[in-house]
Order: sequence, then structure tokens, then C-alpha cells
Amino acid sequence: MTDPRWVGRSYETGPYEVTEQSIRDYMAAVGDVREDGQLVAPPTYAMVYGFDAYWQLWTDQEVALDVAHLVHGEQQFRFHRAVHPGDRIRTTGRLTAINSRGDMELVTFELSSRDDEDHPVSDGEALFIIRKP
Amino acid sequence: MKTVSAAPDFESIQAGQSLPPLTKHVTVEQIQRYAEASGDRNPIHLDETFARSAGLPGVIAHGMLTMAFANQMVTDWLGERSLLKRLQGRFAGMVLPGDDVTCSATVASKDPQTRRVVINLVVANQRGEKVLNKGVAEAEYPPQRSETHAA
Repeated sequence: MTDPRWVGRSYETGPYEVTEQSIRDYMAAVGDVREDGQLVAPPTYAMVYGFDAYWQLWTDQEVALDVAHLVHGEQQFRFHRAVHPGDRIRTTGRLTAINSRGDMELVTFELSSRDDEDHPVSDGEALFIIRKP
Repeated sequence: MKTVSAAPDFESIQAGQSLPPLTKHVTVEQIQRYAEASGDRNPIHLDETFARSAGLPGVIAHGMLTMAFANQMVTDWLGERSLLKRLQGRFAGMVLPGDDVTCSATVASKDPQTRRVVINLVVANQRGEKVLNKGVAEAEYPPQRSETHAA
């Protein structure tokens, strides 16, 4: 069981510089290649610019989540504006809950992404399930 | 000038209507490509031996790849990605290489005051097993421009 005292711990990413290449790579990977004239990232590209926050949580040696048995259980996003090449986006991730359900551990991670003018770009909430071995 | 698109305008949308479904064939190559593009190189998605040692049937697709398919179904229908304001879902089952997953959705409600449309969605595999359920998407249309005709 992950120690519940880590609830509240937060992680900051450096600015993610959105490039045309990064958006196109993501679009090609998921197979969503339609263009709206001006290049607009698919909203779920939020996982790309916010990814370092997830990575910091998963690799935090003190929290020591059992990532080998971790799967993504649920995900929510709220999108405040469209994302284009040239955007610089910082994300804060916060571990907000650790709960036990049967032989599973449920970890809640909340994310907030903002642009260079400190305007909100998107918010997210992930629920990770750790199956006890 | 309208582009050549079947995108519905807000007024024409009706609660209960279905969105065109979207089917995707998932391959090992696509999962690898998604890992590169997203940065998520967790070995449960890439390393067959590791995945089995973690108690999985083999490598599994990222949940967020499945959610990206649901995202595409909704934004293809909306016609503009920037209209999507909310997307959520529960990853109810694993997606394995070789699976064909189909996204389907229905308009749950629309609110003329806020110009928001709520869509319920689900993603199922070729056996009809849900891999994403409790899916909800919400779109917001820009305020209606009042027509100004000379009297």
C-alpha cells in the first residue's frame, strides 16, 4: 500500500513547447489526421503536454507507486482553449487521494495546465488502479 | 463561407440522435507509435515479457489511445476540435493488439441557454465487450450571431 502521507504532493513541469511536428506525430499515432485549416491539436493531446507530470509521479522514489501493476482506470479532461504550435504550456499535477478497494489501490491525480499568460488551457483528473500482486 | 463538411449546426442537433460510429484496428505498431508520440513508454505497452510478468495477457494499448479514438469520433462529428470542452471515461477493459474497437455515441441533451451539448459514449471491442464506458463528452457552441437586416 502506498503511504497515504504522500496525498497532497505536487509536481510541476517545465514549459512544454508545442510544435507542429509534435502535434502531427500525435495525430498520426492516433490516426486522427483531419485538419481544420489552422493546425489545432486534438484535445487529448493534453496527455502529451502534461505527460511529464505523470512521469514525475510514476518515478517518484519516495512515493514508490507499484508502477508494474498500475493501469489507467479513469480519465477526465476539461478543455479551456484550443492548442496550437507555438504554445508554451506548464502543468501542475497533484496527488489528491489514495484509497483501497478490495485488492486494488486507487490513486487520484489532478492536473492543471496553463499557458505563458497564466490562462488555463486544460484541467484533468486521472484515476490509476494498482492491482496488488 | 461554410466548408464542405457534414458538421451539424447547434439548432439541428437533437437529444437522442446517434453520432456516426468510428472503428479502429489496433496494432503493435500503432501502440509503439503512440508510446513515442506521447512519451508514455511504460513497458506494459511495449515489452511482451514484462507485460506477462506483470500479470497481463501481453502488451496492452494505452487507455489514452482508446480515449483518443473517442475524441476523434466526437470532433469529426462536431467538425471543429475547439468546440470540445469536456471528455471523460472509464477504462473498463484492456485493448490488445489485433482488436477492432468501435466508438459509438448518442446526444444526451442540449441546452439552448448555454449552447452546450452533452454526449454519452462507449467504446467496445469486436466481441462487444466495453473497453471504455461511462464516457461523456461536452461541446460548447459559440453564441449565436443575431442577424441584422435593414428594416
